[in-house]
Amino acid sequence: MACVYIPVQNSEEEVRVALDQLPRDATDILDILKAEQAPLDLWLIIAREYFKQGKVEQFRQILEEGSSPEIDEYYADVRYERIAILNALGAYFSYLGKIETKQKEKEDYFILATQYYNKASRIDMHEPSTWVGKGQLLLAKGDVDQAFAAFKIVLDGDRDNVPALLGHACVEFNRGKYSSSLEMYKRVLQVYPQCPAAVRLGIGLCRYKLGQFERAKQAFERVLQLDPENVEALVALGIVDLQSNEASGIRGAMEKMQRAFDVYPYCATALNYLANHFFFTGQHFLVEQLTETALAATTHGSTRAHSYYNLARSYHSKGDYEKAGLYYMASVKEVNKPQEFILPFYGLGQVQLKLGDFKSSLSNFEKVLEVYPENCETLKAVAHIYLQLNQTTKAHEALKKAVRIDPRDPEAFLDLGELLISTDSGAALDAFKTARNLLKKANEEVSIELLNNIGVIHFERGEFELAQQTFKEALGDGIWVKLIDTETQSDSIRKALHQPMDASLASRMYKDMQIFHNLEKNGVSVDLPWDKITTLSNLARLFEQLHKTETASILYRLILFKFPEYVDAYLRLAAIAKARNNVPLSIELIRDALEVDDKNPDALCMLGDLELKNDDWVKAKDTFRAAKDASNGKDSYATLCLGNWNYFAAVRSEKRAPKLEATHLEKAKELYTKVLVEHPANMYAANGAGVVLAEKGQFDIAKELFTQVQEAASGSVFVQMPDVWINLAHVHFAQGNFPLAIKMYQNCLRKFYYNTDSQILLYLARTHYEAEQWQDCKKTLLKAIHLAPSNYTLRFDTGVTLQKFSASTLQKTKRTVDEVRATVAELKNAVRLFSQLSAASNLQFHGFDEKKIETHVGYCKHLLEAAKVHCDAAELEDQQNRHRLELARQAAIREEESRLAEEQKKVKLEKRKQEDELKKVMQQEQHLERIKEHWKSSSGSKRKDRAQDDDEAGQGERRRRKSSNKKKKRDKKHVDDDQQEYEEDNTNTNYYQQDNQTNYQPNDNDNAPQDLFAAAGLEDSDADDNTGAPSSKRIRGWSESEDDEPEKRQPSSSPVRANSVEMQVSDGE
Amino acid sequence: MKLAWLRSLETSHQDCVWACTWVPATDKSPGLLLTGSLDETVKLWNPEDLSLVRTNTGHCLGVVSVAAHPSGKIAASASMDSFVRVFDVESNNTIATLEAPPSEVWQMQFDPRGTTLAVAGGSSASVKLWDTAEWKLVATLSIPRPESSKPSDKGNNKKFVLSVAWSPSGRQLACGSMDGSISVFDVQRAKFLHHLDGHTMPVRSLSYSPLDPRVLVSGSDDERIHMYDAEGKTLFSSMSGHSSWVLSVDVSPDGQAIASGSSDRTVKLWDPKMRAAVQTMTNHTDQVWGVKFEGGGGGVRGSLLASVSDDKSISLYNYS
Repeated sequence: MACVYIPVQNSEEEVRVALDQLPRDATDILDILKAEQAPLDLWLIIAREYFKQGKVEQFRQILEEGSSPEIDEYYADVRYERIAILNALGAYFSYLGKIETKQKEKEDYFILATQYYNKASRIDMHEPSTWVGKGQLLLAKGDVDQAFAAFKIVLDGDRDNVPALLGHACVEFNRGKYSSSLEMYKRVLQVYPQCPAAVRLGIGLCRYKLGQFERAKQAFERVLQLDPENVEALVALGIVDLQSNEASGIRGAMEKMQRAFDVYPYCATALNYLANHFFFTGQHFLVEQLTETALAATTHGSTRAHSYYNLARSYHSKGDYEKAGLYYMASVKEVNKPQEFILPFYGLGQVQLKLGDFKSSLSNFEKVLEVYPENCETLKAVAHIYLQLNQTTKAHEALKKAVRIDPRDPEAFLDLGELLISTDSGAALDAFKTARNLLKKANEEVSIELLNNIGVIHFERGEFELAQQTFKEALGDGIWVKLIDTETQSDSIRKALHQPMDASLASRMYKDMQIFHNLEKNGVSVDLPWDKITTLSNLARLFEQLHKTETASILYRLILFKFPEYVDAYLRLAAIAKARNNVPLSIELIRDALEVDDKNPDALCMLGDLELKNDDWVKAKDTFRAAKDASNGKDSYATLCLGNWNYFAAVRSEKRAPKLEATHLEKAKELYTKVLVEHPANMYAANGAGVVLAEKGQFDIAKELFTQVQEAASGSVFVQMPDVWINLAHVHFAQGNFPLAIKMYQNCLRKFYYNTDSQILLYLARTHYEAEQWQDCKKTLLKAIHLAPSNYTLRFDTGVTLQKFSASTLQKTKRTVDEVRATVAELKNAVRLFSQLSAASNLQFHGFDEKKIETHVGYCKHLLEAAKVHCDAAELEDQQNRHRLELARQAAIREEESRLAEEQKKVKLEKRKQEDELKKVMQQEQHLERIKEHWKSSSGSKRKDRAQDDDEAGQGERRRRKSSNKKKKRDKKHVDDDQQEYEEDNTNTNYYQQDNQTNYQPNDNDNAPQDLFAAAGLEDSDADDNTGAPSSKRIRGWSESEDDEPEKRQPSSSPVRANSVEMQVSDGE
Repeated sequence: MKLAWLRSLETSHQDCVWACTWVPATDKSPGLLLTGSLDETVKLWNPEDLSLVRTNTGHCLGVVSVAAHPSGKIAASASMDSFVRVFDVESNNTIATLEAPPSEVWQMQFDPRGTTLAVAGGSSASVKLWDTAEWKLVATLSIPRPESSKPSDKGNNKKFVLSVAWSPSGRQLACGSMDGSISVFDVQRAKFLHHLDGHTMPVRSLSYSPLDPRVLVSGSDDERIHMYDAEGKTLFSSMSGHSSWVLSVDVSPDGQAIASGSSDRTVKLWDPKMRAAVQTMTNHTDQVWGVKFEGGGGGVRGSLLASVSDDKSISLYNYS
């Protein structure tokens, strides 16, 4: 047993102190040491022994006593030992500071340590061991640079100072200069070959950091040769083995960890690795035990972080998100800088995402991205969160980056596609397609949702063929294939499908389910998996778009046959029936839908539309209200419908009550504005707002609005907005820009209606009329009649046009015979048209006032007579001209025959002829005068003083007429309005134009702005397309609301996107 | 079963061409194509090279319908002023001018034996039958008013008659109305038989199958072509595919195909067995108002098809 001998003062005796039997109370030893004035190195030896035995208190007591001022005084010349004592104390406090976790105490220890070292330095500035200690202290404080300086001072004095070399190596290692650190360790080994194994550990670590795993391994193995129980080496070797990522390596690593654990069960690193291992083998119980031990065993931050992380991960995988979150949080708290250990941040982000705490989750994932900006999983997670937070641009950026980094990740492309669907369908399509191809390459199943989405985008982009292929691919094989594909139909199916149907039931065809019963009876199973409904309904919608409407209807019915609660199918069938003008069936189908869901706003809106079509005003309003309430006012379509309703109500009232009209208009405006506030991109609301503005005479603003809507509407196949074209044309018309209005009407007709809309043709004709293009006007009206033969208004209008044309031709001062002849012919046509109308009115085919027609007939006949006179005169002139030519020719011949002899005779003849001519001409002039007189008296004479007179008279008259007419023809309003325009022509042929002009000056009469608009003849037309007052006007109204449907319905009934996307769409809307 | 485009004439008329029919060949002249237009003229064409044989004038307000007598010697044209002009094909002499005020004139067709001209009478809700020997009005086939409606109800305007077709035997006659209904009459007894429902918008064209006299094909603004059993009152099939109004339908002489012209600017050929369109011709650039097969039935395969359009052009196709 090791002993020390304390020499007894002034004697040869010594006190023997057995080092393993040091007294518990250090004061005893101290008394001896002091009493005997023992050399200081003995003090140190005993203190060190106490330290070794873990008796830290005694250790401190002895050393503090040993460095007290009396000792300094007494042993003033024993410098080295005093320094050694101070350095020991310094080292001790350095160590305390290093392991202390509380910041305050930590600093206190370091201050103490610094004080001791400084004291030591004061004794001898150049003592290397003090510098080494200082260096260690600085290193412990993390002050690497100063530590370096301290070690350097020592090394400058003695380049082989082992502790300084080790310190220096440590500094270099911390600075990341592993190769120079390695050099240092090697030097230590050269200088001091029998140094402890730990030096080789340093070499191993440097090699490991330098990526020289083999040599690192050799170094660690050498350590183990020297010290088979070196835990650090075992753990390090285990880590190196893990690095190999091979099964055998991992097994070896775990064996080493196990050994380390056996040697020293409290090595946290080994515990963590073991826990990690058992996590992967699924032994969660062991994980918890090991990590708890590790946590108890270490105070080292990053190791604890690992432990907490292991624990959290274990709970995470068990689905206990609350606990997992807590441990992740604990782990994160142990980590000073995210780059040291990032995994818990990721885990925490995941758990928070799961728990719905998007903001915190996002910040954690963002920390991960700071360290690993290219981590795809994190990017996807971040994108997902941005999406939840409605920050689509950021989500987009993140996903784009993700797919750029890993262009082989189908999931990322899928996410990207879904994100882009509402903003950039082209890019979305590309993303989806890439995802599909990747999945196919990987031989993974391509989900029906993905194919459905691809199909929908193709559909939206108008690539119907591709859309159809994709939908069919998504649907795979089934009964629907047999129903769609006529080429390969088996006889039994064909028979069931083509079952003749009683014609009287044909109008209820879309409710017929018999075919499916027949199919089942014939042994064909009619199955439809629920996950295919959406796609099947999209395919049916596509068939509708391709005008294979009957096929579409069969598919919708198939859906309803199997899933009678699928409301959208009812609505689409109702829409098909409505397009065919089969209102009763349509209503019935909607009622079916409402039976499934009596609060479905789409169904209610459609029902309202149909009720309007049936002229059920009050009912319609209630229905729209119900629709609005059913959606808590969130459904903009319902609001829009109410707006339209108010607008119709404003322009419909037969007796124009300005007050009521203004209230309705105001209400309409309010509703449109409300929709616009919520959805600034809602074109229908913008259109409505434009109409209200136009009604109020604010044409320029209205025009701007319409133009913008028109531009916006020209994007998607689902947005068909002919109304805005018509409205724009109306505004051009109202502003007198006829050529532009004509162009606009024509384009609209061709683009949206295949030139089949007689109402727009009427607008067009009216514009030609205003532009005095009579032939165009007539042709346009004739085309309209051809399209709508039973619309007698058009005939009446044609008559008026012919009449107007004739009158204007006759008024011309210069006209050819042909012109006059044409005039006569057209007048005859007019007379015939009016007479026919008159005759028809007896049979009450239409609602015209017979007397008025009579007036027209009378006037035309009168004109005809006048024209006949003109015609006769013109023809006479024509004849005379010819006659004269003939005579001249004859004369010439005669001249030839007897030029000389007959000369005198000829002179005479000439004279007589001239006289004759003079007379004729005189007659003709008189005639003309007479006619002119007549004209003046009939219409022209009024002209001069009409400037003011007429407006008042004209309008007064018009109003009177209007009201009188309306009583007779309740629901023929538009007939009326058109008639009104022409009526003026009837009484005073030339009025109309002037009337119009004066009407644009709002200061006369009591014209409210909307009256202005009305006076301009626009009220009917404008009213029409937006919605429409009763009767024919409503047709336009209808078409508008119908147009609304596709847009509106996108999320639901028309192409329905698969679940996840659906959400987005409704958001987008 | 297919159509092969043969030739087109771009500006055959000054304006929209609204009607066409084939004038059967006589001993003096080959079969000719007769067209009527908004430009108020009626023109005769040689199908060989679509050369103009003659231009007839004398109509006002647009020619809406033309019809040819089975003999090939007489033809009729009707315009919006409600006059029917019957003329000699060879000389263009007017044989008769027909009117039956206040009813308008829309589609016309001679019966297969050539003794009667049937004229769709528009708002009169009737078909007028004219005797071709003396050109006298011999009968008015009226669509009965629905029981409920009052005589003054303007609702009967919906029965406005647009189209007319004789059955191959000449015993039956069908007419189509604005409201989408088709009415079938027994001609000899001048009796209304029944309605054929199913369409919900104006029926602008009707055609019986030359092979099966029970089969009636109809085209409507509701974009459908229907095949009915005109006697059994059943709907065989409802075919969709046109993207706008179906303006004209005609059954091929062999009874195996249906041609249709539509506002969607196309001519389609349909296989009634498949109940689907087998071919779509897109050579027209505006509404196709008339399609007509040449040849008088009898199961002959292979004949000409003519189509006329608002784009002022005439097209000929070979059907085989």
